[in-house]
Amino acid sequence: MANFTPYTYFQCPCADSVLPTRNISSDSPSAASGTSDQDERTFDPRAPRSNYSLYPLEHLLYCEDCHQIRCPRCVLDEIVTHYCPNCLFEVPNSIVKSEGTRCTRSCFQCPICIAPLSVSAVEPQPEGHGVADTAHVGQYVLNCAYCLWSSKDIGVYFDKPNAISAQLARIKNGGGQVITPRDRRKDREGRTREASMGPSLDDDGVQEDDGPKLDPNEVLDPEGQFSNLKSFYQSQIAEASPTSALGFTGGDYGYGSPGALSRIMGIYTGGTFADKKVKSKKANFREARDALEGLQIVDLASDADAIKKLQENRWQGTTSLEQRAEQLSEAPFVSDLRPLAYVLRTKRSKRCKTCRHILSKPESKVQTTRFRIRLVALNYIPAITIRPLQPLAPTQRSLLTPRKAVQFLLTFKNPLFENVKVSIATPAHTPGRFKSKVTVLCPQFEVGANTDAWEEALREGGKGAGGEKRRTKAEAHEGQNQAEAGQVWEQGRNWVSVVVEVIPPSIRMDAPDFVKTEEHKNDEGPLREDEDVVEIPAFVRVEWEADAAQDDDTGNLASMREKDGREKRELAYWCVLGLGRIARE
Amino acid sequence: MSRKPAKGEYIETDTGNKVSRRSQIIGTTNIILGGKTVIQAEVIIRGDLLRTSSSVPDGGKQSNPVAVAIGRYCIFSRGCELRPPGKMYKGTFSHYPLKIADHVFIGPGSIIEAALVGSHVSIGANCVIGKFTIIKDYVRILGGTVVPPNIVIPSFSVVAGRPGRVVGEIAEGEVEGFDLRELYRSVGNNT
Ligand SMILES: [Zn+2]
Ligand SMILES: [Zn+2]
Ligand SMILES: [Zn+2]
Ligand SMILES: [Zn+2]
Repeated sequence: MANFTPYTYFQCPCADSVLPTRNISSDSPSAASGTSDQDERTFDPRAPRSNYSLYPLEHLLYCEDCHQIRCPRCVLDEIVTHYCPNCLFEVPNSIVKSEGTRCTRSCFQCPICIAPLSVSAVEPQPEGHGVADTAHVGQYVLNCAYCLWSSKDIGVYFDKPNAISAQLARIKNGGGQVITPRDRRKDREGRTREASMGPSLDDDGVQEDDGPKLDPNEVLDPEGQFSNLKSFYQSQIAEASPTSALGFTGGDYGYGSPGALSRIMGIYTGGTFADKKVKSKKANFREARDALEGLQIVDLASDADAIKKLQENRWQGTTSLEQRAEQLSEAPFVSDLRPLAYVLRTKRSKRCKTCRHILSKPESKVQTTRFRIRLVALNYIPAITIRPLQPLAPTQRSLLTPRKAVQFLLTFKNPLFENVKVSIATPAHTPGRFKSKVTVLCPQFEVGANTDAWEEALREGGKGAGGEKRRTKAEAHEGQNQAEAGQVWEQGRNWVSVVVEVIPPSIRMDAPDFVKTEEHKNDEGPLREDEDVVEIPAFVRVEWEADAAQDDDTGNLASMREKDGREKRELAYWCVLGLGRIARE
Repeated sequence: MSRKPAKGEYIETDTGNKVSRRSQIIGTTNIILGGKTVIQAEVIIRGDLLRTSSSVPDGGKQSNPVAVAIGRYCIFSRGCELRPPGKMYKGTFSHYPLKIADHVFIGPGSIIEAALVGSHVSIGANCVIGKFTIIKDYVRILGGTVVPPNIVIPSFSVVAGRPGRVVGEIAEGEVEGFDLRELYRSVGNNT
């Protein structure tokens, strides 16, 4: 509230302002005025819909083929590169597909505060009890330098300081070993082998380390349970339909096979499609019997354990909603938390949704910040900057006094290498319950062309001489302090400043009826957020003449120039000028 | 606080640095300034926090050790502090150099203990940039952020919060806005 910086937002034309935008605050009563509003296509920056179409100029792109502004809503993103935001390693697409969108190296975030975790050696024991002793538990831990959480807290130690991700996947909280899906598969294969041909030697002949023997009453973690259930049902399907309608064995094809698909269709369409074979076989399906098949029986004792834990560790021992949301599986207690692997970030190129031309394309390398293509609106449409004509008294803390005219300077800076004609149209009163009176003193003017980059560089060699000149000119004007209607206030090579005068309303809620606006009479609700900000909708039209050649943005201008055509260009869009906040009385 | 120093607030060096007379630059021989950098009043730069001498081979190079290296067109606002980060390594405590590239803006009252701040970085007011932080190019850190130690902030990030996290991306059109040449020119004794 203390400081208000004037702002300009641009509306992307994809918002389609013709659509009836209904103002929540002034609902229905004046239907007549509503339609007339639409005829004039006055745009209300406070309408809920406007939220989604107003952007600072820097956030907008420009399509040279459609000759139109493009916003994040009307471009298509395409991923160029996946990379880890912590180690900045590029992750190839194949790995993203198989391993998912998290870093698989050693990049983790603190489960408590999300700050990065760093690997550090467990502090050496003071003299005597040797390194071997420490090495026994594991030599490294993950530490958070922000909240001082450590993987020690969950009893997780690592043997080596690299490939933490792979190590962590095998360590349970408390230090126990995780039975990986690979081990489970091995164990399963072993069991089926035993079932089919009795205990036998490994066919590799190699002494295979069988991994931990799996316990049918094991308490599974969610991943283990899923993997067990999946393989159990896959084997059930395989057994139930040795051959599908198409004649191949069902097992390998699972749910993805056309046969399976038609069976599923059959189930949903009430049996018309249903394969008769399946119906008869359905009886053969059974449910999971033990933990090896993914069955978990709810243990009542676990509830008692949880309650006990809660009593012991109190509130501090439980996790917050945010912390739980980041975890991959249920983690009600701090002791259940796992370090969070960094989610990968992407570099993306952007295409115009309408014509599919590329508007922005970054270099694919993670470490470079250059763009191959970058068509930003900043280089095509004039930027508008706002500042008060008379500096506001410091005591006012830049608040606008109600019912007192105040003048602002709108400066239009032309990025094009052509002169442009600009016209601004604003409604006489801003929309909403509290109406400011708006007058643009010079609604039509011409802005000079931008110059080449190297010309600008020359100018720069002159050490900001242009800047100096501008300043003195402004000072000369300040003596008069009187803006004239129809006159540009100030102008430079490629910029023009014009004056807009605003009379802000009183924002008293208890004002007498006769000063209230219609909208205010209809809606006596309390002052809404930012309702005291003077926001002016302005329709800006920019016209210029361009070489017809220029729009075929190929490199060989010479050949194109033969046409020698000049064509008229026009771009029109809505803007919102946020001028200031009205003081309360 | 005498309001008007007779000679003007800034000393301008041959390489175009504008250094406030009321800044505190300690250990100047260990600080490299690339030129065209603005150092405002009450800024503290700790060039004295050097790597412990034991870790540097004795009688090696004659040149001064570097504690803080700063590029061109950097602006250090009033009351910010640049401190080389330090940590225990193999039983001894040592500081490590703080490197700042070009076009880096640091807001008033912020404390920087990063290892590296890339080019075109804007850090708001009253931020704390934790030890050994690495900030890549084109990053904006909003005011009041506490950036946790050891973090790596990739290019085109907007960072906020306590602890700081990436909350958004820098849009394509914002790239030019990080250029500090104009702001550099606007600072001087006669403004
Ligand atoms: Zn759009
Ligand atoms: Zn990583
Ligand atoms: Zn933490
Ligand atoms: Zn297009």
